[in-house]
Amino acid sequence: MVKLSRYLMVPMLGVLMGTTSFAQEMTDVGTPRSETLIVQTFDGKVATPDAQNPFISYAIWRGFRELGWSSLWEMDTASGQSYPELADGMPEVLNAEHTKFRIKIRPGVFWSDGVEFTTADMAYTLDTAFKYREKLTRVSGYTSIVKSWTVIDPYTMEVETSEPSYSFETSMGVYTWGARFVPVPKHIFEPQGENVVTFKNAPAVTLGPYKIKAFDPNGFWQLWERREDWQRSGWGNLGEPKAKYVLYKDFGAEETRTLAFVQNQYDIDTFMSPDSIQAAKARNPNIQTFSDRFPYHDMNDACSWAVYMNQQKAPYDLEAVRWALALSLDLKQVGITALSGQFKVAALPIADTPVTNPIYYEASAQFLNDLTLADGYKPYDPNFGADLVAALKAQGAPESELPTAENIAASFGGGWWKHDPAQAEKLLASVGMTKGADGFFTMPDGSPWVVTLTTPGDWNKNLQRLGFSIADSWKKAGFNVSVQQVDNGEFGSTQSTNSKLDVMLNWGNTCVYNANWRNSWGVFKSDNVKDATSDEPLNGNWMRVTDQGIFDIVTKSASLPTGSAENIANGNAIAQKLTATMQAINLMSIPTTVPTNSTYWTNYSKQDNFYAAPYTWWSSFKKTLVNITPTGK
Amino acid sequence: MGIVQYVAKRLGLFLAVLFIGLTITFFLPRLMPVNPIDGYISQLMSLSSGSLSSEAVAELRVNLEELYGLKGDLLSQYVSYLERVLLRFDFGPSFAYYPATVSDVVLNALPWTLALLLTTTVLGWALGNMVGLVAGYFHTKRLATLLEIVGILIYPIPYYILAVSVILLFAYVFPVFPLSATFPVGEMSLNKLGLILYNAFLPALALVLAGFGWNILSMKALAIATTEEPYVTYARLKGASNWTRMTRYVFRNAMLPQVTALALSIGTIFNGALLTEIIFSYPGVGLIMRTAATGGDYNVLYGVITISIIAVATAGLIIDLIYPLLDPRIRHK
Repeated sequence: MVKLSRYLMVPMLGVLMGTTSFAQEMTDVGTPRSETLIVQTFDGKVATPDAQNPFISYAIWRGFRELGWSSLWEMDTASGQSYPELADGMPEVLNAEHTKFRIKIRPGVFWSDGVEFTTADMAYTLDTAFKYREKLTRVSGYTSIVKSWTVIDPYTMEVETSEPSYSFETSMGVYTWGARFVPVPKHIFEPQGENVVTFKNAPAVTLGPYKIKAFDPNGFWQLWERREDWQRSGWGNLGEPKAKYVLYKDFGAEETRTLAFVQNQYDIDTFMSPDSIQAAKARNPNIQTFSDRFPYHDMNDACSWAVYMNQQKAPYDLEAVRWALALSLDLKQVGITALSGQFKVAALPIADTPVTNPIYYEASAQFLNDLTLADGYKPYDPNFGADLVAALKAQGAPESELPTAENIAASFGGGWWKHDPAQAEKLLASVGMTKGADGFFTMPDGSPWVVTLTTPGDWNKNLQRLGFSIADSWKKAGFNVSVQQVDNGEFGSTQSTNSKLDVMLNWGNTCVYNANWRNSWGVFKSDNVKDATSDEPLNGNWMRVTDQGIFDIVTKSASLPTGSAENIANGNAIAQKLTATMQAINLMSIPTTVPTNSTYWTNYSKQDNFYAAPYTWWSSFKKTLVNITPTGK
Repeated sequence: MGIVQYVAKRLGLFLAVLFIGLTITFFLPRLMPVNPIDGYISQLMSLSSGSLSSEAVAELRVNLEELYGLKGDLLSQYVSYLERVLLRFDFGPSFAYYPATVSDVVLNALPWTLALLLTTTVLGWALGNMVGLVAGYFHTKRLATLLEIVGILIYPIPYYILAVSVILLFAYVFPVFPLSATFPVGEMSLNKLGLILYNAFLPALALVLAGFGWNILSMKALAIATTEEPYVTYARLKGASNWTRMTRYVFRNAMLPQVTALALSIGTIFNGALLTEIIFSYPGVGLIMRTAATGGDYNVLYGVITISIIAVATAGLIIDLIYPLLDPRIRHK
């Protein structure tokens, strides 16, 4: 007998499918849909959308970083190489100590109001930053490294740094995607006088090929319009951006976002969860992920997720305990449970990307394979990826969507640690930690041991899910885990305060993106070590590294050119030291899910059509804008 | 007790509530395990891919302490806070949205919150009580049972489910309204007002439905009880019509606790409606509060909570003062 529900299902599905073909001629903000690229904002709704002053708030999302501001040197996030944007070439080093630099800027770059960009703007920016440095909240990144500056002519300037700098282009330009130094228009800011410290600067005069057409005072959307003189903009030399308008909008909670995406209300999403993406794809064939095969998304974010442990606090100060935690973690199952198997592992405390792989992973391949613990145990599993493929196949993943044998490492990573709870138990027993009557491991003195794992709350759903899965995996292995979900603010406090940190999921010190490892690991120094129970905040070193050997390497590398063999070898040495003693359990590249909808725009960068990293908040979005084409709908 | 004494006593209570509320408001956020400076620095470090030097972070930390007014011991900060708030109603700068002041941040969101919640609270109250009154007065009729069922069905539905159902039905299955609001910018005009109403319809509908069920059930119970009162029976024996008995006898007496509930509901609207704002992408005080709470933005929390305390206390004061006008028994007493 056919169930009543089936009679209801058919017309319901028909209605649902029917609503997928929802075409708009005009957007909600009054621009032609066929000329407007609509992007989900990275940061949701903004409370003060009129805060557009780079000295204070650095409006970075909703297009400012890609479309509005420009940097002296950008970074090609696919290759990890800096390239000149406002600058006319790379900085010229003027002395052997690497403290004096000459910067030439390209003539013929104009602000969106028609005034030419010159070194006067850069000098004004530096002058103002130093004059009001106690009152400006976004200048310490460069006021702490710049010592003095001299304008030579409207297109030439010389800068002296307070310390030797071997990557001046990333200190004053972009490193991965954020730039510390953002030049402001002198002709707009100077008339403000002292009020520059509270000046909102809205709508901002911009250097990029887009100008602000309108923004929602409630912070839900911002509309950019291509400048007519886009060729004279900061990155006009890249080519003509195809979208006349770019609308950044927050489409709300993930549930409504998914529905809106299915209805073709926007073109590019940011960090939608894998489940929602699958649901959306099932309803709208125009919705696509970066790849049709696992792990479906581009896994080359600059940072990797890791478990950071308070190494100054017992029992995490014991190497055996840290290794036991790593070997007890069934990352295969964790990744399948939390991320539907869409992840790429990374055994070193560095994301495994096409940029970092040749520099660090290839160089450390032998090290990982040979790594042996004190009792002779070899923890590395080079077959992690193959085993993950088998597990996914067993769970019903279509074979056509799984990577082929030669692509497993590129898709799922080269390898990770074995899942061996028995070995973990041996390690813990070696330091006097055995299971109590309740089945959980205890401290060496027999007292109960609870692992407090701090994870983000709803503000980072994927990491939140990962946290719960990790806790579950550890519990099965005999660790008594208490998960503490925290909001953004408390996450920052826990991260920087010893007394609050036990174990947490984090990424802040695992952001080595290229040979310039000092940009991320320069914080490993003795100044950034406090007492195990201290309430005083740290200014870096979230991993709580106390290894003097690592501190010494960091210190002596300060005078080495970034790309030099010696500097790279030092970076590898630190990575291997951190790994050998398991000072952080690195997990995986941050899975950046950026699905696209090809109803109105096509030719997005995909795995089989790769021209740029697909992230809308990186420099690569500039290439995306230049390459996408309208479908004419 | 004379009127002057009565009013004076209520006013004194009102001021005491305000002072205690302000004091608790100052200390409570300080107990949160969140340091606003750490929150900002963490955000900044994340934006810089962790590449800010320790020296830059240290300098920033010192500057922020100064700018946020977090220097000095707790007592001196408390005294400074009371002085600013009581004398100048100045809550200082927002930490999360520095250098925007708390007033800027809150006043931007407040009109949206007030417009939506005031309208829907009053509408939900009025409609729910009217339906409840009819259901209670005619409680022996089948129609009354039907009306009660409406209330019973709607009331227990969690707000989140109700809101998502409204979106699914009216913005996805039958896409009459937008999935997420896009409020127009520019000067107010008829067209802009129309667009605002169009975009605000779904959140308003969800809120009215959410309050509707409770008002039906509560008013029905009160109406049934009041209908059994001897004075209503007397009015029926005197020959008063159903309409007269229902409105002048039953409603006037049954509505007293409902008026209290309405006044207190209106007082709490200054907290915003967080779920509504999240689900419907509606600008309001709720989201501001949430960001302030998670980011340790003490000043914004002070501002919003203080406004809320003042609103609720004032609502309570107004109730106390107008009750004698509504209920002759209290007036006589």
